[in-house]
Amino acid sequence: MGYQLTKTQMDELFRELSETYDLYAPVLMKGEGCFSETDVVRYGKVTSPDEIVWDRKSDYSYKETLLPINETLFYFTEDTASVPQGPKRDRLVFLRSCDLYGVKRLDEIYLKNGFSDYYYARIRERTKFVLMGCGTPCKSGFCVSMGTNRAENYDLYIKPDGELGYADCRCGELEEYFRKAGAVEARVVPDYAEENREQVTLPKKLSNESFTREIWNEYGARCIGCGRCNFVCPTCTCFTMQDVFYRDNEKAGERRRVWASCQVDGYTDIAGGISFRKTQGERFRFKVMHKIYDYEKRFGYPMCVGCGRCDDVCPEYISYSNCINRLAKEEEE
Amino acid sequence: MKNEYIPQASKIREVIRHTDLEYTFRMTYEGDVKPGQFFEISLPKYGEAPISVSGVGAGTVDFTIRRVGKVTNEIFENYVGDSLLIRGPYGNGFDLEHFKGREIVVVAGGTGLSPVRGVVDYFARHMQECDSCTLIAGFKTLGDVLFKEDFALWKEKLQVIQTVDNAPEGYEGPVGMVTRYIPDLKFKNPENAVFICVGPPVMIKFTVQEILKLGMKEEQIWISNERKMCCGLGKCGHCRMGSTYICLDGPVFNYVEGKNLID
Amino acid sequence: MGMDINTKKLKKNAFRVSKERGIGAARIRVPGGYLDAEILGMVQEISQTYGNGYVHLTTRQGFEIEGIRFEDMEAINKKLQPIIEKLEINQEEPGAGYPASGTRNISACIGNNVCPFANYNTAELAKKIEKKVFPNDLHFKIACTGCSNDCAKARMHDFGIIGMTMPQYDPSRCVSCQACIKGCRSLSVDALRMENYKIVRDTEKCIGCGVCITKCPTRALTRSKKKYYKLAIMGRTGKRNPRLGKDFLVWADEENIIKIILNTYRFVKEYISPNAPGGKEHIGYIIDRVGFEEYKKWALDGVELMPETILNDCIYWDGIHFDNQGK
Repeated sequence: MGYQLTKTQMDELFRELSETYDLYAPVLMKGEGCFSETDVVRYGKVTSPDEIVWDRKSDYSYKETLLPINETLFYFTEDTASVPQGPKRDRLVFLRSCDLYGVKRLDEIYLKNGFSDYYYARIRERTKFVLMGCGTPCKSGFCVSMGTNRAENYDLYIKPDGELGYADCRCGELEEYFRKAGAVEARVVPDYAEENREQVTLPKKLSNESFTREIWNEYGARCIGCGRCNFVCPTCTCFTMQDVFYRDNEKAGERRRVWASCQVDGYTDIAGGISFRKTQGERFRFKVMHKIYDYEKRFGYPMCVGCGRCDDVCPEYISYSNCINRLAKEEEE
Repeated sequence: MKNEYIPQASKIREVIRHTDLEYTFRMTYEGDVKPGQFFEISLPKYGEAPISVSGVGAGTVDFTIRRVGKVTNEIFENYVGDSLLIRGPYGNGFDLEHFKGREIVVVAGGTGLSPVRGVVDYFARHMQECDSCTLIAGFKTLGDVLFKEDFALWKEKLQVIQTVDNAPEGYEGPVGMVTRYIPDLKFKNPENAVFICVGPPVMIKFTVQEILKLGMKEEQIWISNERKMCCGLGKCGHCRMGSTYICLDGPVFNYVEGKNLID
Repeated sequence: MGMDINTKKLKKNAFRVSKERGIGAARIRVPGGYLDAEILGMVQEISQTYGNGYVHLTTRQGFEIEGIRFEDMEAINKKLQPIIEKLEINQEEPGAGYPASGTRNISACIGNNVCPFANYNTAELAKKIEKKVFPNDLHFKIACTGCSNDCAKARMHDFGIIGMTMPQYDPSRCVSCQACIKGCRSLSVDALRMENYKIVRDTEKCIGCGVCITKCPTRALTRSKKKYYKLAIMGRTGKRNPRLGKDFLVWADEENIIKIILNTYRFVKEYISPNAPGGKEHIGYIIDRVGFEEYKKWALDGVELMPETILNDCIYWDGIHFDNQGK
């Protein structure tokens, strides 16, 4: 059902929703950017529409709301393991179309691929998704090229518009909040990005031969292996296990999983000093091929959702989207 | 939903010391396990490591652990009458059906012998189930030789070439890389031959080259890939090679598939 | 009729006596070295109208218009007026040029307007200090530099203000990638280490340069909301005893630093040698003569430091002593 709300009703809606749900949305973290007096937009808890950054893509994706950067799997004492409690409340996660497609990729790995993940599942089943529109598409995204610009499987769509607000509710459970807020029914269609400044053509003829292309060495020579591209990516899902013992009680501790990056040293290291991808070129190839080839080979659709965050964040100005276009162009030649 | 990450305590029944660095831990485990599968073995506070099953007994599994890395070091310090946390088994392991009735050649380097030990041992005890079985096992030095007691039995039953890279002067046994012994292999019916190669990546690469030089087909070769694995569950991503998750789809691969796996 | 010019007055008015008789140079101060490009055109016009067409970019980030005739000074001062106004330089009499030249232009590195390493807006602070200290005939040299790289050579100044930031660490965002540790080791002072997969900062060692923050890929390390500065004092070049400035305050705030600078003017007024040639004596030499304890008393008058500010109670300067060599 579509709704129109006044600013007051929007505020009221958020207040009411916050009573039941934890609302996670892109928030401006002032001064927390990489450089002095720069900001960062990343996910935080909100209770009102004004706290949300609506007009700018978040620098870090929604991913951390479903897959915490650090997640304790269990606490242990000498012979017991106790699992920390899952989320106490249901949550609403505000995100854009590309990111909602990203959720499908996270689900693919964490709910399907082999085993179902207990920790992911217990957050995921308590999460609903609120679509944010892309009326003015972001500069670096290429969702139209990736076919991720029109996510329909949202629970709620919300758009503040000056003194008014619009919503499209597709989740029965949420309808009552609109009635309570006194919203009037209206026909609401989400603002989808219909055209991007960036356009990407996926190479069609990738194969194992593609692994030896010179282009990987070229980018490898530029890459510094910081892993930012992985950490901002809404589809990267890797983690590493860490066992921690407490300093004041060495018999107790915890096992955590922590986000990992295939670009950072140590990712392929195994005992005995063996490492499988030593050069940045190999690591860059591993990442790019996963996004546009290897994942699709396994699951039937490309991994990359075209959000463009990796291009935005790279301190060495490596453009993943340009790399893909170059691969496609090389095929033509 | 089952929480796959929670390990279970498993008693250390017996410890067999092979070398200063390598020990086999015989651990309590009830359930089906295949050689070549692996468990995530952990000590609280020190982390987990994927360790292949080097033997399966009644109510036990063996893990042969080389004292490398932080996790395995700790296991060595703590073994006496203690228990370890384990979860698994994970991975496909070796399917013995592929080898029954065939002329089997197992080529193993160093601790690479562990995942395949169960296969070798099975055919040593059930000779009638294969045509022949040859083991070419390479170690760095005589001091690195694993499963010495097993070798005694295997040497009786199978053709065993146990070679060392570096031997002391006057040593009369086989010396040099495992690849050196492949060209001399004789087969009654080459088409019925089947190979298993397990060891460090470089060793696998050159061993396979030698086998193919014998005129063998790729499908006659099986390999096992060791990679970093933090979960064993297809989640952590570290073991992925192309579209393949070693922990789910491997670690044992027929070479037809295995040759396409690129790190 | 011979040329009858009060050179003391001329110098105070920011002109220079040159090698060539009757010819001087006009000096333009640009606090923080930051200016609207429009001013470049004005400088050009003065140079081409009254000078020899050449301008020197001074070591203190000002302009020195060469080849001007002393008789044109008044006309030049008129032409300088829009520049003085645009740069918001304190002035006593509009149209009369600069009221003093003793306290030199406050120089600055490019700062956080542009530079990824800078911890603050150096030009802004330079302007703020300029507003407080200028005009003054006392020979003070002040520089603002964005970080410990000290591109502004702040340590060669009476007051060097070096930007710092107090790294804020959110362990829940840390992925143990060690980029900060490697960055600190290779670019800074190796003050970070990993313990239990989390970062431990050696607060004694940390110089607040902010490298770790720029290296962090997850925003686990961020800048403190509060801006911090290191105040290095009494560095200088010179004939007798060139020396590097030493840290007086570490993790200090802007307001107290400005207070200390102003206090130092009072101290110098009190203790400057009456025989100082041209009323110029390096503050460092005055402190050498009077004693650091006495200086500290004056400098810290009315200063209430923040709890985190470290005050170095005792400072000795070294440097090269040309004055007592062979003694």
